[in-house]
Amino acid sequence: MHTFAYERPATLPEVVALLGRHGTDARLLAGGTDLIIRLRDGTLHPGVVIDLKRVAELCPAIREEDGRLAIGATTVMTDIAADPRVRRDFMALAEAAAVVGSVQIRNRATLGGNICNASPAADTAPPLLVYGAEVVAAGPGGSRRIPIADFFVRSGQTTLEPGELVTAIELPLPRRRMGAVHVRRSRRRGHDLASVTLCCGVDEAGWTRLAYGSVGPRPVLAVDESGMLADPDAPEAARAEILERLFTDASPSPRSMRASPAYRLAMLRTLGARALRTAIQRLAEE
Amino acid sequence: MRATGVGASIQRGGGYGRVTGQQQYVADIRLQDALQVKLVTLDCARARIIAIDTDAARQVPGVRLVVSAADLPQPVARFGPQFEDRPILAVGETKYHGEPVAAVAAETKDAAEEAARLVRIEYEELPAVFSLEAALDPAAPLVQDPALRPGDPLAGTNVLREHRVGWEEIEAARADLVVEHTYEFPMVTHFAIEPHAFMAAPDGDGIAVWSSIQHPNWLQKVLAKILGLPLSKIRVHAPDPGGGFGGKQHAKLEPLVALMALRAGQPVRLVLTLEETFQAVRRTAARVRVRTGFHRDGTFAFQDVAADYLLGAYADIADRVVSKGSYPACGPYRVPAARILARSVLSHTTPSTAFRGFGNPQVNWAVESNIDEGARALGIDPLELRLQNLARRGEAFIPFDTPADGQWEQTARRAARLIGWGTPLPPGRGRGIALGIKSGPTTGLSYSTVRLLADGSVIVYAGTSDMGQGARTIFAQIAAEELGAPLDWITVVMGDTAVVPYDQQTSASRSTVLMGNAVLRACREIQSQLRAMAARLHGMDASLIAVDRGVVRLPDRELSTLDVLKPGLGRLGGELIGNGEMRKDEEPGHPLGGSAAFFEFNCTAVEVEVDEGTGDVLLVRHVTVSDVGKAINPLQVRAQDEGAAIQGLGHTLMEHYIFDEAGRIRNLGAIDYRIPTSMDLPLELVSDAVENADGPGPYGAKGMSEGALLCVAPAVAAAVRDATGLVIRDLPLSPERVWRALRERDAAAAAVTGAVQPASVPVAAATGGAPSGR
Ligand SMILES: Cc1cc2nc3c(=O)[nH]c(=O)nc-3n(C[C@H](O)[C@H](O)[C@H](O)COP(=O)(O)OP(=O)(O)OC[C@H]3O[C@@H](n4cnc5c(N)ncnc54)[C@H](O)[C@@H]3O)c2cc1C
Repeated sequence: MHTFAYERPATLPEVVALLGRHGTDARLLAGGTDLIIRLRDGTLHPGVVIDLKRVAELCPAIREEDGRLAIGATTVMTDIAADPRVRRDFMALAEAAAVVGSVQIRNRATLGGNICNASPAADTAPPLLVYGAEVVAAGPGGSRRIPIADFFVRSGQTTLEPGELVTAIELPLPRRRMGAVHVRRSRRRGHDLASVTLCCGVDEAGWTRLAYGSVGPRPVLAVDESGMLADPDAPEAARAEILERLFTDASPSPRSMRASPAYRLAMLRTLGARALRTAIQRLAEE
Repeated sequence: MRATGVGASIQRGGGYGRVTGQQQYVADIRLQDALQVKLVTLDCARARIIAIDTDAARQVPGVRLVVSAADLPQPVARFGPQFEDRPILAVGETKYHGEPVAAVAAETKDAAEEAARLVRIEYEELPAVFSLEAALDPAAPLVQDPALRPGDPLAGTNVLREHRVGWEEIEAARADLVVEHTYEFPMVTHFAIEPHAFMAAPDGDGIAVWSSIQHPNWLQKVLAKILGLPLSKIRVHAPDPGGGFGGKQHAKLEPLVALMALRAGQPVRLVLTLEETFQAVRRTAARVRVRTGFHRDGTFAFQDVAADYLLGAYADIADRVVSKGSYPACGPYRVPAARILARSVLSHTTPSTAFRGFGNPQVNWAVESNIDEGARALGIDPLELRLQNLARRGEAFIPFDTPADGQWEQTARRAARLIGWGTPLPPGRGRGIALGIKSGPTTGLSYSTVRLLADGSVIVYAGTSDMGQGARTIFAQIAAEELGAPLDWITVVMGDTAVVPYDQQTSASRSTVLMGNAVLRACREIQSQLRAMAARLHGMDASLIAVDRGVVRLPDRELSTLDVLKPGLGRLGGELIGNGEMRKDEEPGHPLGGSAAFFEFNCTAVEVEVDEGTGDVLLVRHVTVSDVGKAINPLQVRAQDEGAAIQGLGHTLMEHYIFDEAGRIRNLGAIDYRIPTSMDLPLELVSDAVENADGPGPYGAKGMSEGALLCVAPAVAAAVRDATGLVIRDLPLSPERVWRALRERDAAAAAVTGAVQPASVPVAAATGGAPSGR
């Protein structure tokens, strides 16, 4: 591993100051499950690594406030998957958190790290898109909110400004009942990076929100407001056509060895159809 | 029998240390002042090395030594168990991606890694071959320098050797049905959890070497030759490996670290990363064409098997893998006429080596699958057809080899019963069954020394490597049984060539039989000393006394070992020492140099569910039954076969190397080379054994634990076929491959019926595991 300086700031302003001082030579460290791998294999060689785990304002927490569930950026997957409020209102996020890596990985991997790493395969991205999450970012200019749908650019690239970091991810508490599910495709049942991730939510107004990842440079959200998709009694052909339209933004890379584009696209449809059924079922069982 | 002796399911000795991290593997052993070694490699498979500049590397603080071929004793020594073709470091040319060109030794790992990056190598990439087609092309570049094979007519090709076995004229054989297909077996790697690790240190006027090696005595010979030292000056420490599976059988980087330690005058240490291990060892890939002739009643008319095995850049033991693995290609059956041709084909890829099953899984996948096709074509139940042709005990099914040494039909019927063969299945499910056979060791030599100490406790010396298969426990059980000592009073010493007597190797499931017999004989030698002792103590003729399983029988009473030992040894104490030797000599003229010490016989039967939406193959139930002669430790026997079954599921369902155009392994490492995890196990895994005490080992034991790997792929593929109608002749049966085959099947069906295929999955119909017609 290349040598680098290690900083462990205690407060948020210190983090912002350090980021300002070191610019692109700095890397933030949360759980390290993405970062350390890239430090070891030499694809990243920052001059300084800034550890977020001791920052007072970032201590991992899930709080309910102002009609939102706020998940601190350094909250780990294990805690998200087990949280009763997440499980009550955002089941698909709990499901996504529960399939990230293995037990050991989930005990380290943070929600902030998962979205900031911005892998197209990031498991939490589809449910965050379906639930309309907002990313809370802090930087030299103070704090701002970024809708999750505007956050991802491509692998490793987000719309965070230089010098900014994520402090929390907020989910608006549902005003309408919703049934949702997170599903994924992997090469084995044991832990694996997904070759398709997909979350489908159906709400009582009949809207279907479908988000999927790993089939293009960034995760995609597509919405059907017609109510047809969510209606099992609507004509089959019309439903199939709508579902097909929701997938138009998928453009899997031919270079990946995890799955061919043809397989990914087919699985998107298989998973989409299955997830839709489950979401409708869950809404009915609510 | 006692609860601790033979036949008892005792927990594995050392198991606790393994799972709690107490056991010291090579990488855990810290030698004072050890330098850390990092290898320098090129980013392509084959290249001409033009110049090596080590100046910058030498400037890195903490670097002590940088060596390339030019810095080694000239000419650079080559070594290998079959052909001495592998140089200590690449000489003039690299032949596979990952071949070491230079090595750095430094005070810290970081310094070694940094310096390794700074070694500047000027090179020219050369054309290379990574597949059978490319390697067999008459215009292909040669992998091996023809000068290494003077006088060999094949030296101008990439075929290292051809192996032919057969009997009777297949051309003359008449058959009602001939089934011919070609099957592919991918490149897979061992993935032992313990990293391959090597250390060396000057040791007086000799050298000490630590290695995760399976064959310490063989390594000792290799090092003695390269270093020009007598065997007695080479001490190989071989701590129990953490998984070997054949990948750790033969010398790899030990000669390099030994020379570096001597040059540096201090210990050096090299621990391979998982990525480097992928580049160091793998299983031989294969393409196998099988032509099977059947009579209408299901009996075999002939087998005609042509197997091309894809080796790597150096032969290692892989040509033996080819000859020995292809040799029983006709399986455990009565086959009136047979022709087997196997070729060892070199390529510019990771050298392939021994891997659990030793060349048999490749041919067994092909031959058993082909038999299944024949059975279906004839309308005969695949199990019945196999039973009908199965060699009966004592039958010389391979005319010039050991006759069938088990009641194999019992094993097959047990597996069939445990899977519920012939009972109705839910829709979407299918069953498959396969038989497999592997020839045990053809030669062997094991010595053991056993010391019965004054208090009745025992030390057993055995040169076997216990890499998780449980040899320590087996030898302790044998000694406990024979000498009447409690199990926890027995110490088994292994893995140090300065202390433990010679053992040829730990391979081919041999140790229970060969070393087990050596231990047994050493114990029996002690028994005869006890007998003489008892005769002396009780003033009677030794012929009146019998010693059996720890009991000394006088005409009028029974004594324990200690009753005789204590007074017999007297006030000075002392001990009884027994030596045992077990030898299986070469048989000149035999195609393999020797007949099988025993056969490993297995039957695997599985039930699968195929998800037609995704191509996932779910193992609902997996039954594996082996004929083991006698299970000295039934718990270990069951668990060994469970392990083999799961390892077999790896190459059956998910494992394979993926290469890029430059011959680099793309899925290098754990993220994209997937092996089964606990989540991927069959929902139910049943491992059972047939015991008729008819093996050549102690108490009738046979070798085991490779057998359960032989049949996994053909059994699973047959079950997938039963469930879906798909015939897939390539491994692994990955979800994507199965899905593709499903689409092709549906497209073909649509073409026949003229129906239009839906462009997408109907929203309502895509349920989990949607069943379809057969
Ligand atoms: C074996 C293994 C299996 C995995 N399996 C999965 C899987 O199944 N699904 C999945 O989605 N992921 C998986 N991952 C990836 C990884 O675990 C997740 O992406 C994880 O959530 C990353 O979080 P972290 O805290 O470890 O991030 P880190 O590695 O600490 O950081 C990741 C990146 O985000 C940046 N960063 C971190 N926190 C912040 C912040 N608050 N503000 C701004 N930037 C920040 C870092 O600088 C870095 O670039 C796996 C990883 C491993 C090693």
